[in-house]
Amino acid sequence: MTQYRLVHRLAAPALGVLLSALGASQAGGQGTADGQWTMPAKDYAATRFSGLAQITADNVKNLRPVWTFSTGVLGGHEGQPLVVNNTMYVVTPWPNVLYAFDLTQEGYPLKWKYRPAVDPNAVGVSCCDAVNRGAFYADGKIVYNLLDGHTVAIDPATGKQLWNTKIADVTHGETTPMAPFIVKDRVIVGPSGGEFGIHGWLKGLDLKTGRIVWTAYNIGPDSELLAKPGTFKPFYDKGADLGRTTWPTDVWEHGGAPVWGWMSYDPDLDLLYYGVGNPGPYNPEQRPGDNKWTASVLARRPEDGSLVWAYQFTPHDSWDYDAVAEMILADLTINGQPRKVLVHFDKNGFAYTMDRATGQVLVAEPFVDVNWAKRIDLTTGRPVVDSSKLTGASKGNVLNICPTLEGGKSPAAPVAYSPRTGFFYVSTNNMCMDYQAVQVARIAGTPYIGANSPYHAGLGGNLGAIIAWDAATGRKVWETKERYPAWSGMLATGGDVVFYGTLDGWFKAADAKTGRVLWKFKVGSGVVGNPITYTGPDGKQYVAVYAGIGGDWFLLSGDVRSDDPADVRDPAAFIRDLARHTSQGGIVYVFAL
Amino acid sequence: MMRSTRGLTVVLTMGSLFVGAACGKTTPARTPGGNIVQVDTQSAAPPAVRHDERVFAGGSAPSAISFPNPFAGEAMPAAEGAQLFPANNCDGCHGGGAVGWVGPSLTAGRWRFGGADAEIFQSIYYGRPHGMPAYGGLLPPDMIWKLVTYIKSLPPPKDVPTESW
Repeated sequence: MTQYRLVHRLAAPALGVLLSALGASQAGGQGTADGQWTMPAKDYAATRFSGLAQITADNVKNLRPVWTFSTGVLGGHEGQPLVVNNTMYVVTPWPNVLYAFDLTQEGYPLKWKYRPAVDPNAVGVSCCDAVNRGAFYADGKIVYNLLDGHTVAIDPATGKQLWNTKIADVTHGETTPMAPFIVKDRVIVGPSGGEFGIHGWLKGLDLKTGRIVWTAYNIGPDSELLAKPGTFKPFYDKGADLGRTTWPTDVWEHGGAPVWGWMSYDPDLDLLYYGVGNPGPYNPEQRPGDNKWTASVLARRPEDGSLVWAYQFTPHDSWDYDAVAEMILADLTINGQPRKVLVHFDKNGFAYTMDRATGQVLVAEPFVDVNWAKRIDLTTGRPVVDSSKLTGASKGNVLNICPTLEGGKSPAAPVAYSPRTGFFYVSTNNMCMDYQAVQVARIAGTPYIGANSPYHAGLGGNLGAIIAWDAATGRKVWETKERYPAWSGMLATGGDVVFYGTLDGWFKAADAKTGRVLWKFKVGSGVVGNPITYTGPDGKQYVAVYAGIGGDWFLLSGDVRSDDPADVRDPAAFIRDLARHTSQGGIVYVFAL
Repeated sequence: MMRSTRGLTVVLTMGSLFVGAACGKTTPARTPGGNIVQVDTQSAAPPAVRHDERVFAGGSAPSAISFPNPFAGEAMPAAEGAQLFPANNCDGCHGGGAVGWVGPSLTAGRWRFGGADAEIFQSIYYGRPHGMPAYGGLLPPDMIWKLVTYIKSLPPPKDVPTESW
């Protein structure tokens, strides 16, 4: 049974308890149990919802930290731990140490740690901090990516390496911070490098051996996209080789199209969904055309990688609007009709509700202030762009574009969906940017960007907010303003509590129905990780999250950078006082009643 | 293709720079980076290749030959360097205005690998650990010196050690 069906049946908290009992009996299964957390987004539908309901809106005020652990690493701690068979697995940012904690013993002592050799040069080729977005458990293996372009599978019992496959090339600007995604016997992986002129791809590895079974490019001719005639049917776009013909000759070969976000999978349709990042360089005048399939969602067959449909959120992206944010799968009633949808909160500021079988856009409304486009035309699927916000080297400094290239929501901060409330919970940024593009030359192994884009706060002056969103109608249900950009993932639970962290180091619990903050705790560093929940060996519900600010360099401004006395920076003008409230450092926190 | 040709030119020009600087006889020598440069045999010491993370015998670095920046303190080369900085994707790592991004800030007046003009030249020419690429094969020395001149022209903040609110 698939997880998103399971969660949709959760009509009452009592059922959640029943499910967690079921979960315990399914220990070792592929992410179907509420007692465990076996994959980054909890389930294939990417809901980050757990039916666990011991912690409720009434008692969450009694939550307290029960365990902490320093990872000894200063980089941004994105991603989340896994909990499988009473063991917690934690992957650090570079150098990507994997820790296995025994949850059955007091103090959670280590069972083992795995210390891979990871090329330090990968750190310099990472656009935005040497992060790691987590591991995936399947088939008796912990699988994750090392930053330097390797995927490894580790034996959960012993910590021994089972296989290690080179998937990407650091010397060509490819790094691999994303969490792998496992469907059946395929490990699906992709590279970062949209700022380094890569030729973006997705690969399917054999789970047993690590062998690369297929490679599908995101840009280029249909043959390299694994877009086969008759099976590739985009809803809006017609024509062959769109991944090549929507680019100037050969420019697509270094056109970016990275994959660094989260994936989801519908077992009934047998479709894998993932978002593709930005085209390169940032100066759009060097790449006239739509630049397909950058800034797009692609639906593929996991077994052989073949492309089934694709939709481009931001044609001819002029603002670095990667579309790598998660695609959450849900069954919603839209205009009175039950629909199997995919919901996506794009960097470009629009929330899309799409038919996940066909790629048709059903609802597309801005979830933050947007001014680069007036609306999305549902007939053509294309944004109605405000031409005064188009960027390019010949246009000089284009002022006040909303949202910024960090996104209306950071793709690294995934959404949670509660089938109990029907709301999507979103960490958002309330920021706008000026964008000065310049002509840029490609030099292999160096950044290929060509834009300077300082940010400023949007209307209201707050830099972020937590919102609840109704994806059936495309409207905001509630909003809690945050002083700083909201940069952590969300967790929704059967107790109708949502959890999230903030850059200034607060970990918060809020009422899922109203957004009212019910509890908060000041953790040791700003939170850019994603909370999880699980049932301990004692039958109690726990909540875990990483503290550890980073993941983008403005977050490290001023004295936040603490490991290098030679690198002292002036704070970014729009966020001058963040360093007053936090500093770097990775800590794993576990909370309980 | 053009770049590899330029790389060859660079090595030769480097040599002539050393010659120009010392006006003496030269013999080839190998640097720690493995690159061949021309070394002045009549002067006391090998070229100024040093790394802060190395501990030198006696606690002090060996003295190095003078390796002067031909544009030191000049405004025009600094302005050209300001153009070269984004054109060669330096801003992609060090940020616009060199204020720091994935790579360190170059405006604080503090240096991992030394802040003398020749040391900054070495950092650009040979690259540094953790991702600084070697531009020696890509840019001729006069362009690297212009970058050095630009970087050295950036004013450090008023009070680097203290940040207060």
